[in-house]
Amino acid sequence: MESLNALFSLGFATALTPANLLWALLGCTLGTAIGVLPGVGPAVTVALLLPVTQSVDPTGALIMLAGVYYGAMFGGSTTSILLNTPGEAGSIVSALEGNKMAKMGRAGPALSTAAIGSFVAGSIATVLLTLLAPVIAGFALQLGPVETFSLMMLTFAAVSAVLGNSPLKGFIALLLGLAMGLIGIEGQSGQSRFTFGLLPLIDGIDIVVVAMGLFAVGETLYTATYENKIAGRIESLKGSFWMSKDDWKRSWKPWLRGTAIGFPFGTLPAGGTEMPTFLSYSAERKLADEKTRKQFGKGAIEGVAGPEAANNAAVTGTLVPLLTLGIPTSATAAIMLSAFQQYNIVPGPLLFDTNPELVWGLIASLYIGNVMLLVLNLPLVGLWVQFLKVPRPLLYGGIIVLATMGAYALRQSWFDLMLLYIIGVLGFLMRRFDFPVVPLVVGLIVGPMAEKHFRRAMSINEGDLTVFLTHPISLLILLVTAAILVLPPLMKRRQVLLDSAR
Amino acid sequence: MIKRVTGEQLLAIGIILIGLVMAWQIGDIPEEAGYAGIGPRFFPSLVVAGLIVAGGALLMQRRHRNGPDTILSDGEDDTEQLEAEEAAARGEANWNMFIIASGSLLAHMALIGIVGFTLAGTFLCFGICRALETRRPALDLVLSFLLALGLFHLFKTLGLNLPALLPGGVL
Repeated sequence: MESLNALFSLGFATALTPANLLWALLGCTLGTAIGVLPGVGPAVTVALLLPVTQSVDPTGALIMLAGVYYGAMFGGSTTSILLNTPGEAGSIVSALEGNKMAKMGRAGPALSTAAIGSFVAGSIATVLLTLLAPVIAGFALQLGPVETFSLMMLTFAAVSAVLGNSPLKGFIALLLGLAMGLIGIEGQSGQSRFTFGLLPLIDGIDIVVVAMGLFAVGETLYTATYENKIAGRIESLKGSFWMSKDDWKRSWKPWLRGTAIGFPFGTLPAGGTEMPTFLSYSAERKLADEKTRKQFGKGAIEGVAGPEAANNAAVTGTLVPLLTLGIPTSATAAIMLSAFQQYNIVPGPLLFDTNPELVWGLIASLYIGNVMLLVLNLPLVGLWVQFLKVPRPLLYGGIIVLATMGAYALRQSWFDLMLLYIIGVLGFLMRRFDFPVVPLVVGLIVGPMAEKHFRRAMSINEGDLTVFLTHPISLLILLVTAAILVLPPLMKRRQVLLDSAR
Repeated sequence: MIKRVTGEQLLAIGIILIGLVMAWQIGDIPEEAGYAGIGPRFFPSLVVAGLIVAGGALLMQRRHRNGPDTILSDGEDDTEQLEAEEAAARGEANWNMFIIASGSLLAHMALIGIVGFTLAGTFLCFGICRALETRRPALDLVLSFLLALGLFHLFKTLGLNLPALLPGGVL
């Protein structure tokens, strides 16, 4: 109960100051807006805000960034339901049933169950975070550089092998991220690496440029080349806005199940918000009774309630490894980690001792932010619908102007704009050939940390590489890593053999 | 029979080339044994090896609709058919639009130091609108200008320094 004590005495005291409330409100509003707008995700927004937040105090800035992150999950559902285009990756599934509901004139209940489900899931997940984080942080204190390095290997394996269709493409994306992370001065020895004699590369490639290039420029190039012909149609908000008694009855169980699926997934290094939403959707479909199952594909409210709860719980779940181990499990979390680094704060087990008011303030702000988002998304949903009416060309034009500005403002140099374009073309190619982007971002940010821990482990153990196998915790983590890499292809092969034997 | 090189294979070759260029650059990193024999060259060597091996694997990989683990009999290969199906699902590529978008970005890069943020930004935003086949270019041009001007002044008051055309900093 120590954590509850800290939450109330430190956390809410920090989060409830007028300035921090304002940051939370700003983050939630921005998050909802970018969640609603198709083509802009939380990763690119958090990256864009990094330079702006440099002059803000760390607690306020991180409260705002966290607000953006889960605000996007709330807002994303609006676009999925009304436009049938997911506002961000976590709400792809909600488009399946939600848009069908909107077509039948039940947009209101669909939006309500998404917003209330997100609120319920977000709140429960935040309680779990409050209770779990200090325990995991306490455990993590015993991890030395050897175990931390193994944990990072596990993260690498999980994000590249589990996400996306092809593990090979995941690994290539990871390696490209690691390669980009190598550019610049190496901390331990002070040697510059892969700068090709170019002065601007000495500081390394900024995460802002990478995120903007991949998510904003790459996306725009892809849309311009391939998706001009696709036209969206906005469903109007007609009929009763509120959920009926029956809707409530059908929603509350999917909310809870979605939370139960989403939160653990968020905490795993194979994170991201897409997987749990798909799992929640298929779970709801399986659990539905005969009559309801027929509605799936035609607008079943369970198919909105479950996944929407799952994606919000997953977002809160990703904060567990980020805050307690310092390991990001999604692109947005990776960029938030670099926000911490910007303030010379190292997220990890020590954070709870060195910056308690920051951590607890951040966690308390999640409770407050959830309430804010419920208010922002339910009564004010009509306002957000207006956002969907921004014509797509102008929307992308605006995104690109903001992206170039974010890159240019770093150093006032055209060199960053050049890098932005090159990484944009890379993003375009990755999208075109179906490479996942998350491993690249995680590799870029975690790579340098992994190298540091590896060399630290080596210098403590006098260059003995076997330490990774002789430390029991490290061995266990590496075994799990191996299992992630080896098991899925074996299972697939077994399935193929079974099928052909039949 | 000469097989058509697929886009994915070209990409694989590109990845191997990146690996080779990096391998050549490793020689430029001063070798200092560092602690316990692990110097600044160690990690780059791992990444380079990984890139070349993974690029090679992608180059050799034969795609099949049943996943990479399907056992294929000799000569059987439906990569091309699969590619054609995917291309149909993706829709026709309009490379003119790719060029317009790229050109706008590169022109913006060249112009921003000369004509200032507002005009370069207007041009960029308008160029992207064209690349996305806007149906009302005149209105978009006006809106692009207003957007760029608004952002310029917003960020100027926030203390972010953006290049201006006029010395007074109105544009």
